Amino acid sequence: MHIMEGFLPWQWCLVWWIAAIPCLLLGIYQLKRVLASDREALPLLGVTGGFVFILSSLKLPSVTGSCSHPTGTGLSAISFGPWITAVVCAIVLLFQSLFLAHGGLSVLGANIVSMGVVGPLMGYSVYRLLRNTSVNIYITVFLVTALADMFTYVTTSLELALAYPAETGGYISSFILFLGIFAVTQVPLAIVEGIVLALVFKYIVALKPDILIRLNIFSKEQIDSARDEIS
Amino acid sequence: MFEELLEDIAQKNGLREVNTYLKLAAGLGAILLCLLSTSYIAPLFIALLITGAILLLARVDAKTYAELFMVPVGFALMSVAGIVLITGGHDIFWHWDIVNGFSLSVTRESINQGMFVFCRVIGGMSAMCFIALTTPMTDIFIVLRQCRVSEVVIDLMMIIYRTIFILMNQVIQIYQAQVMRLGYSTYRESLHSFASLCGAAFIASWDAGDDLIRAMDARCYNGKFALLGENRPVERFPCFAVVLFLTLSTTVVIVSGTITII
Repeated sequence: MHIMEGFLPWQWCLVWWIAAIPCLLLGIYQLKRVLASDREALPLLGVTGGFVFILSSLKLPSVTGSCSHPTGTGLSAISFGPWITAVVCAIVLLFQSLFLAHGGLSVLGANIVSMGVVGPLMGYSVYRLLRNTSVNIYITVFLVTALADMFTYVTTSLELALAYPAETGGYISSFILFLGIFAVTQVPLAIVEGIVLALVFKYIVALKPDILIRLNIFSKEQIDSARDEIS
Repeated sequence: MFEELLEDIAQKNGLREVNTYLKLAAGLGAILLCLLSTSYIAPLFIALLITGAILLLARVDAKTYAELFMVPVGFALMSVAGIVLITGGHDIFWHWDIVNGFSLSVTRESINQGMFVFCRVIGGMSAMCFIALTTPMTDIFIVLRQCRVSEVVIDLMMIIYRTIFILMNQVIQIYQAQVMRLGYSTYRESLHSFASLCGAAFIASWDAGDDLIRAMDARCYNGKFALLGENRPVERFPCFAVVLFLTLSTTVVIVSGTITII
């Protein structure tokens, strides 16, 4: 669940917009460069955005009974890098607020920072760290997705805590409280999302491994050994 | 499992033919006024007027409109409860020292603050729903292009927009087929079904993207989508109504000042 319209005071809306805009500009710059060299990338990016939107409108089977949805940003981050993911996320977040009434327009900047920048950045760093090691690729995908999801909610809690500090203990105790409300209920969900996306990955490896090789997510050898494991 | 997209409603609402800039001015103006107000009265007033416009002028079904508020209001209540407990004050009604340096309390000031944030969410949500329910995305694309947003971004938005509708149909079909075959009967089963649903959606979207580029190449695609814009005239009555609404709301924001609930 994103921060909703009207929840942050206008000063903080402005701060998060200012934080989000350089990331978006960097993303647009990279996007233009990618498209100049490979114009087939545009529809591919488009379908990734569509996929992130569809994923977020599906409700994840959840243990706690609360409903939540996968963010899907981890998969996009390892395919296109964190900055282009920020642009795709910004568009998806705008569509979510106008198609599903999730999130909001004035708080879009704050939501871009949490779901489009910090989450994918964390996921991408984990991916870069583990890509060339002997770690199983399903475990890599699990960690990337679960961490991208977790850090999205940690950042959301931080954004809320900065806007509404506690009287005693200030920002820190307020951060812990919001973390308790959101992030802790998200831990099981982030793990479930990690498992689901690792299974999705297994499905793609089995049926259409050429997608992963073309996107250069994993090397051909890694994919081949993953296919051998399935069969 | 799937919400009806507000876009479907927006394509056939009662205010469809009104100039896009007027609708955006009303919606975005209302969001801004809600954020700038310092009392809980102004956002409630704005929410009331906008709800009236959505139900009576745009003729949106009242039940659909109410359902839109269910999830956000639940989330807002939870977060507002947090704000009430941590925001301190002088007039203390209830107090609990958990550990040294961290305590929860309910005070006059914190209740006022909580009420204010909650009303601002209601006001902001209704203003956002006004844009979502009356302005189709296709009209917003035209506005974005006129505002000179980067071409790449608009193209990407249009492709994502198109893909969403293609994928939505496929996902619904697969999901229904899975339910019919008891794919969601146990928790373990539902995880597997959900994963294969997502995987199928990813592969389907990949194929849709490939088909799209081939179809566009066949039609001499040069990296820019043609977009036919309809220019809707600014009519006198809607223009007057928007100006009246914004003036009234601004007056309420100024007059209500810092009035609190208790």
